[in-house]
Amino acid sequence: MTNIVASSGWIPTYSASVAAYCWRCWRARALVWAGTVAAVGAILALAANAELFVFLAQRGLSAQMQSASEFQVFLADGAQPDQVAALQQQIGGVPGVRGTRIRSKNEALGIAKRSASLSGLVTGDSSDNPFPASIVVTLGDPAAADRIAALAGSSPASDRQVPTSYTPSEARRLSTALSLAQAVLVGIGLAALAVACLVGLALVRGELRARRAELRILVLVGTPRPVIRLPVLVEAVSVALCGTAIATVSLLLVGVRVVPAVNAALPFLQLGSAVQATTVIALATLVSSVLALGACSLMVRLPR
Amino acid sequence: MSPSSRAGGAVVLRDVTVGYPNNPVFTGLSFDIAPGQFVYIVGPSGSGKSTLLKLLHGSLRPEHGVVVVDGLPLHQMRSWQTAEVRRRVGCVFQDFELLPHLTAFENVLLPLQLAHPRIRRSREYAMEALEVVGLSDKVDEIPGRLSGGQQQRVAIARAIAHQPRVLLADEPTGNVDSPTSAEIMELFADLNGMGSTVIMATHDEWVLASFPAPTLSIELPPPPVRKAS
Repeated sequence: MTNIVASSGWIPTYSASVAAYCWRCWRARALVWAGTVAAVGAILALAANAELFVFLAQRGLSAQMQSASEFQVFLADGAQPDQVAALQQQIGGVPGVRGTRIRSKNEALGIAKRSASLSGLVTGDSSDNPFPASIVVTLGDPAAADRIAALAGSSPASDRQVPTSYTPSEARRLSTALSLAQAVLVGIGLAALAVACLVGLALVRGELRARRAELRILVLVGTPRPVIRLPVLVEAVSVALCGTAIATVSLLLVGVRVVPAVNAALPFLQLGSAVQATTVIALATLVSSVLALGACSLMVRLPR
Repeated sequence: MSPSSRAGGAVVLRDVTVGYPNNPVFTGLSFDIAPGQFVYIVGPSGSGKSTLLKLLHGSLRPEHGVVVVDGLPLHQMRSWQTAEVRRRVGCVFQDFELLPHLTAFENVLLPLQLAHPRIRRSREYAMEALEVVGLSDKVDEIPGRLSGGQQQRVAIARAIAHQPRVLLADEPTGNVDSPTSAEIMELFADLNGMGSTVIMATHDEWVLASFPAPTLSIELPPPPVRKAS
């Protein structure tokens, strides 16, 4: 026999051999792989779209929450300047109030025109402005809203029917709803990932079962364990990548078609633009599915 | 590697116990095999010949004792570390352990390509190993289309293709006729002549008589200890 000569430049040749081996393993189970990709893709697509709607709703709530820190005392249309000044001074003296300023009817109209949820109420006739002037109060402590509401209720300058922008109990309900939406968002993501992992694990276990004899022989002849695991890892990661691709396509379709349709059909439920949310959810799905399925493929034991 | 540089690996066993505490396969086994030696392991069926080869191959860990093959302490190795010893050792398994969906050539080539990264012209060496065992005309056949003796020779080609420092063979002539047995034994003798240590488990009297070599006898293990109820 010719004496074997060890080569120094072996890395490209060995990489090609290992890649060819991975390709051969994948080709032998291409149908099972495709089925798993479809299943994982469907699960991730469902989860990603559910997350999209919860994310957009949560973002709307979050915006409301942000505007809630700007407490408004609505002024009556006939309020006298000295009455308004007296009320502003009283409010400014309440502990927990950082500052106050007057927002005129024109300013309020301008803000309404820019707001997705209020722009439908704005008519072309600027003389018919339904938005009241207000004292905008920046709160350091939300508990101060109670005392400001009491001052507004007793002042002749404030609007009799709707004296303030919200009540403290409404703020608490909003805060609770926001926390709930965030929890639902995380819950949906984790549940989808868990189901995708189970499906991926079934693929990996099936792969190892189908190749049990081959794996045992490769272990017996001294093949490094990372090389034996590589085809399984490649299969799991490729399932995650292709499943995410399916989920992203469905996410884009929903973001481009369904969300604008919901915005148009339900003016009181403004979800806003889905572009940014789609990108964030697609990236989160990609990273989490690759990490989860990749980790699953490494957890399966090989023979000694 | 020249034959001199490919000097076979030494094998050392010291006070080795394998099996369960009340049902040992063997206890206190000790022996030395010098580099380049040809040794038969003989003993009745069930005496632990295959177990001993599995021990030398790293497929089993001893309950107690020291196992050193070609300088590697197998008794201290974890399962993920055994690949190193298996790259230095060639093993002919009793039941061939061939992959049924691969051709004879692929059965020799795949382990060579995956387990021996530094061997570059692996196709050439795989073909040469098949030529050495007289199967150059069967390279494209899958194991199912080969006779038992031919499958055995494919397994031998796979075991010798990387020119191991130690060759372990478990009853390599058990499934073949006498002429094929003689061919296999001549092949092992050639490999031994090139410097490899050869350790072969057999109970084939014809082989032992026709190809004399030092013999390591293993006795049947004692019956299991039963606790009194």
